[in-house]
Amino acid sequence: MTSSARLAALSVVVAIGAVAAYAFLLRVAAVRNHPEGYVVAFALATALAALAVIRAPARRWPAWLALGPSSLLLVGGAWFNFVVAQVPVTPTALRVGERPPDFTLPDAAGRQVSLADFRGKKPVVLVFYRGYW
Amino acid sequence: MAELQGLGAQLSEAEQAGVEIVAISPDPNERSQKLAEGLRLGYRFVADRDLAVARRYGLVHAGGGPEGQDVPRPATVVLDREGVVRWFSVSRNFQVRPDPDDVLRAVRAL
Repeated sequence: MTSSARLAALSVVVAIGAVAAYAFLLRVAAVRNHPEGYVVAFALATALAALAVIRAPARRWPAWLALGPSSLLLVGGAWFNFVVAQVPVTPTALRVGERPPDFTLPDAAGRQVSLADFRGKKPVVLVFYRGYW
Repeated sequence: MAELQGLGAQLSEAEQAGVEIVAISPDPNERSQKLAEGLRLGYRFVADRDLAVARRYGLVHAGGGPEGQDVPRPATVVLDREGVVRWFSVSRNFQVRPDPDDVLRAVRAL
């Protein structure tokens, strides 16, 4: 195997490895909370593929085959992480030491649930989530 | 959902200790219920269909949804028995959720 082909193969392994690692380890907080990690991995894969192209003697197609997808992953991943996934920071009604606004909402069984129901009874963990992937 | 799964794995013992976990989203209840059954979690899913509650909390991400609709900003809030905020986390990147260890620590410190 030429050094170019080896670099191209390594590039593919890094790119696929990054996607697989992020997908399978999503439940691990240390992985999930550092999504920039996959962008860095894609940058590495792209650099390796670029190196493969430069080092290619005659047949360059394995190197281009690695450079195409890895640079796409890099652009797509960076766009998603640094643009799409950004949530604007605006003032909230949350203050440590104060009560947040009360609310009454229906649960999955149709019962009305109020935050005030739990006062004097139980601590509450409120988890606001998007509802869309 | 990864946060809820992470939370569920660690907070199930705390739940037995008597913490109410309320998950709020614009998801219709049928979908949340399926989610709860699928994840086998002891959460209470409530539906904030028109984002009225998210708005009251200042937790709306205007136009942040996949179709350009308003969506909630992901956030986790720990309230003590008196309903007072003791800890909260609002993320700047919707892929990032608070470490369940941090949430658990905040709950245990109550």
